[in-house]
Amino acid sequence: MKIAVILGLILFAAFLMVPAASFVYESGAPGACARCHEMAVPVDQWAGSAHRGVTCAKCHGDALTTDAQFHMTNARRVVEHNFGQVAERAQLRPGDVFAILQRCQNCHPQEYASWAAGPHSVKYEPLFLDKKHNSERHLMDDCLRCHGMHYAGGIRDLVTPLNNQGPWSFRDASMADKPAIPCLTCHAIHAHGNPLKGHVRKAGISRKEDVMTPSLAFWDRRARESVSVALLPLPAVHEGERPVKMSPDQRQALCYQCHAPLGNTQVRSGDDRTPVGVHEGLSCFACHDKHKQSTRASCANCHPKMSNCERDVETMDTTFFNKNSGHNVHFVKCADCHPKGIPAKKAKLERARQ
Amino acid sequence: MLTGVKSLNRRNFLVTAAAAGTAACTGRPETPWRTLTADEATTLEAWCECLIPEDSDPGAKRAGVVRYIDIQLTRKFKRHRKAYSQAINALDKLAYAQNRGPFAALSFDERSLLLASFEKSENSKAFNMVLDHTLQGYFGSPRHGGNKDYASWRMLGVPPIPVRGRLQYSLLDPESNGGIS
Ligand code: HEC
Ligand code: HEC
Ligand code: HEC
Ligand code: HEC
Ligand code: HEC
Ligand code: HEC
Ligand code: HEC
Ligand code: HEC
Repeated sequence: MKIAVILGLILFAAFLMVPAASFVYESGAPGACARCHEMAVPVDQWAGSAHRGVTCAKCHGDALTTDAQFHMTNARRVVEHNFGQVAERAQLRPGDVFAILQRCQNCHPQEYASWAAGPHSVKYEPLFLDKKHNSERHLMDDCLRCHGMHYAGGIRDLVTPLNNQGPWSFRDASMADKPAIPCLTCHAIHAHGNPLKGHVRKAGISRKEDVMTPSLAFWDRRARESVSVALLPLPAVHEGERPVKMSPDQRQALCYQCHAPLGNTQVRSGDDRTPVGVHEGLSCFACHDKHKQSTRASCANCHPKMSNCERDVETMDTTFFNKNSGHNVHFVKCADCHPKGIPAKKAKLERARQ
Repeated sequence: MLTGVKSLNRRNFLVTAAAAGTAACTGRPETPWRTLTADEATTLEAWCECLIPEDSDPGAKRAGVVRYIDIQLTRKFKRHRKAYSQAINALDKLAYAQNRGPFAALSFDERSLLLASFEKSENSKAFNMVLDHTLQGYFGSPRHGGNKDYASWRMLGVPPIPVRGRLQYSLLDPESNGGIS
C-alpha cells in the first residue's frame, strides 16, 4: 500500500516535471530560452529577424499548451542537457512543422489563403499514392527532396509497397492530408537578413537579395537546414547550344529547386519552365503570384502595350487560354504561330496611310 | 489516503520536480563556448586563423571553426578534450617564452613563425590534430557548427544545393527517355 502511494507520487511528480520544463523555456521571455547553449543561436537569429517583435510562444506554444508532445520534447531536452548530451543544435521535430503552420495562419491569413488556393498546398496523398505516377516511375527517397521534405523517415517508412503494381497506401494513414509544401519549405523564420554581401558576387550569385523578403530560403532535407535564397544557384539554361537569357531575379532560385531542368541544362527538360521565345528573360514572378501562382492578373501589366499581333493575348492560342494548346506560354515563339514569317502590321499600316 | 506527512511529501515532490526542471538552465552562459574557457577559445581562434587566414574570403575565425571544435568537443571529439587543453597551454607557454605575450596577442608573422616551430617540436601530434579539425570545420557542412554561411563553399563556387531536376521516364513506355530532348 505504502509503496503504491510512493510510486504514485513519483509518477505524479514526473508528470508535473514535464510542463515544468516547458516553463523553463518561457520563464522570463526570450532571454530565458537563451540560457542553454543550443538555444542561443535560434534566439540570436530571432532577434535579428522580421519576427523579433513576436514572442517565442506565439509560434512554439507555451507551458499552458495542451499538446503533450510539446512538453515531452522540452522535458527530453532538459534531461539530456543535464546529462551533458547537448545536441549539435536544437531542431524542430517534423511534427511541429504542421502544428506551426496553423500559427502562421493566425497572423498571415491572406498569404495562407493564397497558398491554400494554389498548387503548393498539395497534400501527401495525390503525390505519393498517384496510380499513374507510381506505375510509371519508381518511388524513392529522392521524391521527398521536392515535396514532403519535412517528413522524418524515408520513403520506405511512408509508403507501402515500394513496387510498380500497388495498390499503394501510407503506413501511417494520418499522413494523407498533411501539406507536402508548407510555409517552411520557402521561409526560414530564424534567419538574418543579408549575409556577407561582399562575397556574393564572387560566387556568381546575383545581388538581388537586397530586395527580397529576408526569410526566403529553401528547406534542404538532407542537411535539415534552410538555405537562404541568396545562396541558391540560378541555373544557366540552354536551348541547344545557345545560352538562354535569364532574368536575374534571384527569388526564382527557389522555384528552380523543384521546377528544375535536368543535368543537360536544356530548356523544357525535366520540369523546366524557363521562358524562351516571346517571353525570354522574364522572371517567373513577372507572371506568377508568389503564393497562389495564378497568372491571370499579370498579362495586363504588359499587354496590349507590348503586343505585336493587335489581338488580345489572353484569347490567343497558348496554354493560358487552352491547357491543351501546342503553344505553351513559356516557350512560344513568333515562328510557332507565324510559320510563314511575321505578317506586316496591317492595322498600323492602315492607320499610317490615313 | 494521504496523511499530513505525506502531503508534505507531495509538496516536496512538487518543489523537486519544478527545481529539477529549472536547475537545468539558469542564467545566460558566461561564454558562448560549451567546453573551452574564454582564454582557450581566444588562443585557439588565433591558432586556426593562422592556418586559414582571412583574405577576400572569411578565414577560420569568421567561418566559425572554433565553434565547430567546441561543439564537437562535447560529442565526437570528447576524447580530445585533454589534448586540446594541453596543446593550447603549451602554445601559450611557448609564446610567453619566446615573445613574452600570449599567442593571440602576437602579430600574424610572429604567430606563423611560432606555429612552424611548434609543428616541428614534440607537439607535432597536437598541431596535426588542430590542423585536421580546422579543415573539417572550414570545409564541412555548416550543420556541424563550422563553415558559417557556407563561407568555404562559396569561395570554391560550390552551391549549397545544386539544381537537380527529376527524370520523366515511364516504365510502361520503353521509348521514353526521361524527358531529355
Ligand atoms: C514567427 C514564429 C516564430 C517565433 C516568434 C519564434 N520561432 Fe523558433 N522556430 C520557428 C520556425 C518556423 C522554426 C523552424 C525553423 C525555421 O524556420 O527557422 C523554428 C525553430 C526553432 C528552433 C529549432 C532550431 C531549428 O533550426 O530548427 C528553436 C530552438 C526555436 N525555434 C526557438 C525559438 C525561441 C527560443 C524563440 C523566441 C526567442 C523563437 N523560437 C521564436 C518559428 C518561430
Ligand atoms: C504572432 C503573429 C505572427 C506569427 C504567429 C507569424 N508571423 Fe510572420 N510576421 C509577423 C509580423 C508582425 C511580421 C512583420 C511584418 C512587417 O515586417 O511588416 C511578420 C513578417 C513575416 C514575413 C516577412 C518578413 C520575413 O521575415 O521574410 C514572412 C515571410 C512571415 N512573417 C512568415 C511567417 C511564417 C511562415 C509564420 C509561421 C511559421 C509566421 N510568419 C508566423 C507576425 C507573425
Ligand atoms: C526535382 C524535384 C522533384 C522530385 C525529385 C520529384 N518531384 Fe514530383 N513534382 C515536382 C514538381 C515541380 C511537380 C509539378 C510539376 C508540374 O506541374 O509542372 C511535381 C509533381 C508531381 C506529381 C503530380 C503529377 C506530375 O507528375 O506532375 C506527382 C504524383 C509527383 N510529383 C510525385 C513524385 C514522386 C513519387 C517522386 C519520386 C519518384 C517525385 N515526384 C520526385 C518536383 C519533384
Ligand atoms: C513555394 C514557396 C513558398 C511557400 C510554400 C510559401 N511562401 Fe510565402 N513567399 C514566397 C515568396 C517567393 C515570397 C515573396 C518574396 C519577395 O518578393 O521578396 C513570399 C512572401 C511572403 C510574405 C511576405 C509578404 C509578401 O507578400 O511579400 C509572407 C508574410 C509570407 N510569404 C507568408 C507565407 C505563409 C504564411 C506561407 C504558408 C501558408 C507561405 N508564405 C508559403 C514563397 C513561398
Ligand atoms: C518545394 C518544391 C517547389 C517549389 C520551391 C516551387 N514549386 Fe511549384 N510546384 C511544386 C509541386 C510539387 C507542384 C505540383 C503540385 C500538384 O501536383 O498539385 C507545383 C505546382 C506548381 C504550379 C502549378 C502546376 C500545374 O500543373 O498546374 C505552378 C504554376 C508552380 N508550381 C509555380 C512555381 C513557381 C513560380 C515557383 C517559385 C516561386 C514554385 N512553383 C516553387 C513544387 C514546388
Ligand atoms: C509570361 C508569363 C509567365 C512566365 C514568365 C512564367 N510563367 Fe509559368 N505559366 C504562365 C501561364 C499563363 C501558365 C498557365 C497556367 C494558368 O492557366 O494559369 C503557366 C503555367 C505554369 C505551370 C503549370 C504547368 C504548365 O506549364 O501549364 C508551371 C509549373 C509554371 N508555370 C512554372 C513557371 C516557372 C517555374 C517559371 C519561371 C521559371 C514560370 N512559370 C514563368 C505564365 C508564365
Ligand atoms: C512583363 C511583361 C509581360 C507579361 C507580364 C506578359 N507578357 Fe506577353 N509579351 C511580352 C512582350 C514584351 C512580348 C513581345 C515580345 C517580342 O516582341 O519579342 C510579349 C508577347 C506575347 C505574345 C506573342 C503575341 C504578341 O502579341 O506579341 C503572347 C501570346 C503573349 N505575350 C501572351 C501573354 C500572356 C497570356 C500573358 C499573361 C499570362 C503575358 N503575355 C504576360 C511581355 C509580357
Ligand atoms: C500564340 C500565337 C502567336 C504568337 C506567339 C505570335 N503571334 Fe502574331 N499573330 C497571331 C495571330 C492569330 C494573328 C492574327 C492573324 C494573322 O494576321 O495571322 C497575329 C498577327 C500578327 C501581326 C499582324 C498584326 C496586325 O496588324 O493585324 C503581326 C505584326 C504579328 N502577329 C507579329 C508577331 C510577332 C513579332 C510575334 C513574336 C514576338 C508574334 N506575332 C507572335 C498569333 C501569334
